[in-house]
Amino acid sequence: MKLGNMLRDALRALLHKPVTVRYLTRAGEMVSVPERYRGKIVYDKEACIGCLLCIRTCPSGVITTTEEKKVSFNISRCVFCAQCAEICPTDAIRLGSDFEIVTSEKEDLIVQ
Amino acid sequence: MTEKFDEVKEVKVDYTRLRVPLGPVHPALKEPISLTVTVRREEILDVVIRLGHVHRGIEALAETRNLIQTLYLVERICGICSHSHTTGFVQALEEIGEIELSDRSLHLRSLIFELERMQSHLFLIGIMAYEIGFDTLFMFTWYEREKILDLFEEITGNRIHHSMNTLGGVRWDLSPSFVEKVNCSLNKIEKSAKYIQEVFQDKTVEKRLCGVGVLDYDEARELCVVGPTARGSGVKVDIRKAYPYAAYSELKDDFSVVLRNTADAQARTQVRILELFESINLIRAILEKLPDGPIYKESVIKLMKKIPEGEATSLVEAPRGELLYFVRTNGKEGLWRLNVRTPTIPNVLGLKPMLIGSEIADIPVTVASIDPCMACANRITVVDQDKRETIVTDLKNLRNRGKKQ
Amino acid sequence: MNTVIILLITFPLVFLLSLLFEGIDRKVHARMQKRIGPPIIQPFYDFVKLFNKERIIPMTASSRIFTTVPIIAAAASILGASIPVASLIAGSNVGGDLIIILYLLTISPIMVMIGGSSSGNPYGAVGFSRKMTMLIAYEVPMLICILSVSVNYTSLAYYDIVLTQVKIGSLLALARPSMAAAAAAFVLCMPAYTETVPFDMSEAKTEIVHGSLVEYGGPYLGLVKLAKSASNFALSFLAVSLFFYTPALLERYFSPELGGAMLLCLVTTLIFMVFTMTVPRTIFARLKIGQAFKFYWLVPLTLSIISVALSILGL
Repeated sequence: MKLGNMLRDALRALLHKPVTVRYLTRAGEMVSVPERYRGKIVYDKEACIGCLLCIRTCPSGVITTTEEKKVSFNISRCVFCAQCAEICPTDAIRLGSDFEIVTSEKEDLIVQ
Repeated sequence: MTEKFDEVKEVKVDYTRLRVPLGPVHPALKEPISLTVTVRREEILDVVIRLGHVHRGIEALAETRNLIQTLYLVERICGICSHSHTTGFVQALEEIGEIELSDRSLHLRSLIFELERMQSHLFLIGIMAYEIGFDTLFMFTWYEREKILDLFEEITGNRIHHSMNTLGGVRWDLSPSFVEKVNCSLNKIEKSAKYIQEVFQDKTVEKRLCGVGVLDYDEARELCVVGPTARGSGVKVDIRKAYPYAAYSELKDDFSVVLRNTADAQARTQVRILELFESINLIRAILEKLPDGPIYKESVIKLMKKIPEGEATSLVEAPRGELLYFVRTNGKEGLWRLNVRTPTIPNVLGLKPMLIGSEIADIPVTVASIDPCMACANRITVVDQDKRETIVTDLKNLRNRGKKQ
Repeated sequence: MNTVIILLITFPLVFLLSLLFEGIDRKVHARMQKRIGPPIIQPFYDFVKLFNKERIIPMTASSRIFTTVPIIAAAASILGASIPVASLIAGSNVGGDLIIILYLLTISPIMVMIGGSSSGNPYGAVGFSRKMTMLIAYEVPMLICILSVSVNYTSLAYYDIVLTQVKIGSLLALARPSMAAAAAAFVLCMPAYTETVPFDMSEAKTEIVHGSLVEYGGPYLGLVKLAKSASNFALSFLAVSLFFYTPALLERYFSPELGGAMLLCLVTTLIFMVFTMTVPRTIFARLKIGQAFKFYWLVPLTLSIISVALSILGL
């Protein structure tokens, strides 16, 4: 049993910089994200063949069909599981590194 | 006439008693649970525990979806043990569909499992520190936890809901550069885990934790508590040893079951701290033994179609204890019935014997020491408004409901 | 007449200083935990914000007591803080002696306690009982310390004791063994008075949801918080000027009436506050009420009684 085990570390922390990472590391520069990060969906319309496998596996009903036999994504419902990107036979769907998806316009959250 | 007057009982009102409502919203509780505590001065005389503030109907929701969709749904039962839930579910499906997994995928499953256990234990250790008013230790512990979350983000792409599991394997592979990174982080975490262990021997900390919330061996056996709560009371239960799943049958010798006999909050916290070291050892063993091979079999759509009608149960050792999945498939890509028994359900029963006789100051420590996950533990209550009836459904009724469909 | 003017000047000064000290305390606490922490003027923001909020009085509360008590608490603690500050500025005894300062500083926790129990909330009641226990635990050794000082220097006047330190050219705590014991006991009572961890069980956040403060909000909470930070500042300032009056060490350079002496005293107060409030808050866990009571009646009380015994013996 000891008393005041943390005294040394608490005082030492005074001399060091805080470990908090700011959201903007520099003005206009975001925190970096790793390579496999799952962010906002990026959709390559040309590569899509309209197999609609993504709709069958999407757990939260993000994906709907469009008139031209392609798909559209409603990001506001997305849970970023990347199942659609995994199932896509032509790699038309990819999850990008964009994580700032808060917006006041609903249209911004629809990827076509 | 006088005799009759003598028979009238005097109603005694005990003004020394005070009924303190604790929760559903209370700063000591991370999730809603309602405890109505009767106290005399600081001593607790009686506790009434009520659950049911965050019921989400996940089991019923699962019956309306196909298997792949359910996989991501069960992941969201709990944020802290998301990998345990998917492993439990996927294992049951693989048993029904008789899908064989490659060794590499099993090892990767165990790897994420152990990382998740460390993350969860650090989380709880931080919460314990916060409950006893030791904010600095809380901050330091969660800073260590952040390192594991960063690892998760690098390996799987997400910090909490990593969705590592899929039917017939795992979704992301571990390249040699990741192995190095994991090893590097492990060394750092081991160092700070030793530091945390040291700080938890601080006198003020021990004064708050020792002898608080005692659940002795017999009571623990009787209430069937699971996980670190049981191991803190000296009950040797660990699904990883008893019914090995994933790669644990090969890793049997690389870890031991941590047991403590003092049965108080200190013992439960100690079990968790020591399990950090066990997990570090396990991860090192996994990284060393990691066999080559594919990480998943074939397209999940094809696998899903192959799964016949049938039922299976699977057991996993989640960070909080034994987690049971009962799955009954309908052969058409869907589910008849999904039943989850999360570790908090038995553990929360242990709260009453722990709390009675202790002080008000001990309530948050005791509640936190069983690591409750209320959202996991909430069960259905059917309220029939026309008949003005309240029925709490039990396992038997739910099973019958599954058979009827 | 002169006294009143000086006190009136000191009021805003004490208000600013106590909130500023609280901000520094929070910043240092955050940096010890490796956080960035709030800006130093955050308490001012909080104060302004709370005063712009709605006044809510719970239905179960007895509203007259509930609403007047914060005002009395704030007034008493600011007055209690201004007396020593004003005395140092004026260079004479202003307002009252040590007894009245300690009396005013005890008023504010008692008022908060009464307000909490009048709110009708069970947590307020538990907070009341815990605070009462703590009050008995730390108030007795604290008063005995002051008694010991007065026995030693046959004076209860605040400024006389400060002047004594200047005369002997040393800190009171170092002057005699009896005073060292008194200073030690007084310092040990600091965390209990300021209600910081490890002795903050009367308003433990995770146990009884801030105890007495549970129903307070808006302007009332602002006043209670002001009362708390003012009385924390007052007690630190009192302890420093009674036992650790650093300008006394440099009396060649500072005559006690000068602003420089005041500034040095304030800096010492800040350092004292960091070491008696912020550091224990950072490195300890909260104790239980029984354990804290036992500690106070074992260590500080014994120290203070030893101190009185020594001063009667003339040591």
